[in-house]
Amino acid sequence: MSKFLASLVAATMLVPAAARAEGTIEVLHHWVSQSEVDALNVIRKDLETKGFQWKDSAVGGMSGANAQQALRSRLTSGDPPGAMQFLGWEGPQWAEQGVVRDLNDLAKAGGWREALPPQLLAFVTSGDAFIAAPINMHRQNWVWANKKIFDEAGIAVPKTWADLIAAGKKLKEKGVTPVAMGDEPWQIGIIFDALLSDLNGPEFYKKAAIDLDPAALNSPEMVKVFDALREVRGLVDDNFVGRDWAVATGMVINGEAAMQFMGDWAKGEFLAKGLKPNTDFYCFATPAKVTSFQYVIDSFGMFTVKDETVQKAQVALAETIMDPKVQKGFNLIKGSIPARTDVSVDDFDDCAKLGFNERAEAIEAGSMLGAMTHGFAAKPEFASVFGDVAAQFFVGKMSSEDAVKMLVEGIDNAR
Amino acid sequence: MNAAKSFSSRLAGWLPRIVVAPSLLVVIVTVYLFILWTGVISFTSSKFVPVYDFVGLEQFVRLWATPRWHTAVANLFIFSALFLVLSTGIGLLMAILLDQNIRSEGLLRAVYLYPMALSFIVTGTAWKWIMNPGLGIQKVVNELGWTGFTFDWITDPNMAIYTVVIAGVWQSSGFAMAIFLAGLRGIDNSVIKAAQIEGASLPLIYRQIIIPMLRPAMLSVIVLLSYIAIKSFDLVLALTNGGPGSATELPSTFMFSATFRRNQMGVGAASAIMMLMTVAAIIIPYLYSELRERNNG
Repeated sequence: MSKFLASLVAATMLVPAAARAEGTIEVLHHWVSQSEVDALNVIRKDLETKGFQWKDSAVGGMSGANAQQALRSRLTSGDPPGAMQFLGWEGPQWAEQGVVRDLNDLAKAGGWREALPPQLLAFVTSGDAFIAAPINMHRQNWVWANKKIFDEAGIAVPKTWADLIAAGKKLKEKGVTPVAMGDEPWQIGIIFDALLSDLNGPEFYKKAAIDLDPAALNSPEMVKVFDALREVRGLVDDNFVGRDWAVATGMVINGEAAMQFMGDWAKGEFLAKGLKPNTDFYCFATPAKVTSFQYVIDSFGMFTVKDETVQKAQVALAETIMDPKVQKGFNLIKGSIPARTDVSVDDFDDCAKLGFNERAEAIEAGSMLGAMTHGFAAKPEFASVFGDVAAQFFVGKMSSEDAVKMLVEGIDNAR
Repeated sequence: MNAAKSFSSRLAGWLPRIVVAPSLLVVIVTVYLFILWTGVISFTSSKFVPVYDFVGLEQFVRLWATPRWHTAVANLFIFSALFLVLSTGIGLLMAILLDQNIRSEGLLRAVYLYPMALSFIVTGTAWKWIMNPGLGIQKVVNELGWTGFTFDWITDPNMAIYTVVIAGVWQSSGFAMAIFLAGLRGIDNSVIKAAQIEGASLPLIYRQIIIPMLRPAMLSVIVLLSYIAIKSFDLVLALTNGGPGSATELPSTFMFSATFRRNQMGVGAASAIMMLMTVAAIIIPYLYSELRERNNG
């Protein structure tokens, strides 16, 4: 009897222990806000059903720069985390250093390459290797607008930048701040990236922001971009210094301002206030003849480790991330859309549905573009030159011609 | 007995060195070794991760061809010069006024010194709001009735660096005051009395006698404030984040963003070496004169 009891006790104690025994994986990331953590929990729970534990290493701040520093010191000391959140070129750059695990077998078996938009592959592959599992896709070039202000002023959703700027001027005359934003270079960069493609077409964007073609950089089209940026500056109030993007979103929500140019992480601010897309607020892409979809993705890469249980956990984590069900659950909370293109659009809100549609169109039209300001076009040393010039131009009194000259010289200096 | 005594006396001789050794080792490794390493990196083509190929002065050439770096260097000189002069001047004035045997001097001293207890992050954030034209001084004055008043330096790329000076001076002049006050207390009253008997006026006494006698305090204040000026990274980060545009970039913020955010580790290291040279140009003559005085004394 006592033996039976003892074995029963041992068995009950063993069950959770056995579930954990499959392995633990440490994941280094920079997501610390509530919605981000909630979204991550979708991944974590799915991983746990496979019997693996997620060990959280969150290093917030500086848009991921702090987490990158943490990673550098971990790699240098020979103790990399099992997995790491990658932004922009970080994944391919670490892969060049030979520290990232190749997931090609999983990718082939799971048909990952076919499930993802082809434009994404540059950021999740390195040569023949598949180096990171992308979980989501944000779109950078959205406009968020207060519907009531638009309706009262008799303004329709603009179809061109000329319409948009004219609408802004009309609103300004009525005493409404047309555009809410802060003076941080990345907030200005969002508008610059949009203008680059919207005014001159996606091919020009690729030449200028990805290939860094000197002819494109030093062209009348580039001057046109700065001219339009100057027009946008006229639509921003003078108190924009040091304003956080979420504060600017709040101005649109409260009716202090009419529009904001911001990625779809701004959507959460509207939804949290109980506002409904197309009844309380508008979401639409920055206007253009060929509407572009400027994407920002988060992916998770796995580092080469010796521990076999961690290796197994890495496989499980990668499969979890690429699971359409998980991608759906994650993105419903995060406000982005799945990186995979084969996830159903049901349950998503109208803005996300619009995003799905326009992504499909953009893939066809060749206007699916990496968002430069968030590191998905030129490498950081070049993208930051664009950011510097656009920001200095925006807050100062530089002429468009001088800005183009400064841009060309800056890019050459960074080459 | 004899052996024990010699052992203990030998131990006594070695003890200071043994005690100091670990901290010396830590300082050598964490400070001087990394200075050396940064120097090595500045001569390589390192971008995302360190690589050890020798490219000569290429990164320094690139650094000096970057307009942002020129802004940063110019800002450092504008900021340091104004910050030093204003903090020292205001600190000295406050110390002299506090030294006039006024009532509740202790309280006032604490009030003036208090900003020093705040971190630059707090100072920067508070002044960001105070100087924002839509929230702070300008709005208050406009609402009081003076509608034409503008104070929008923080939005103007040409003036924004002066807002950093204002916040820095606000924070540090109390600290300068404290050191000057200590110096004033150390001056023998009989000197002043003698001057008064000779018929010297009070301003003259201060100008000709007391301020020259504060020279050691002055030197300490200047050296300490120079350190603060050079490492004012967090003040800029909180107040303007280098903006508007890159108008308030300082060498320290430039170095951080080049190294950690822009894939330009080599350029970042080169800028760090330039900063080291600048600090050395100030500190080495100071150390030299200090050590020479001590040897003479």
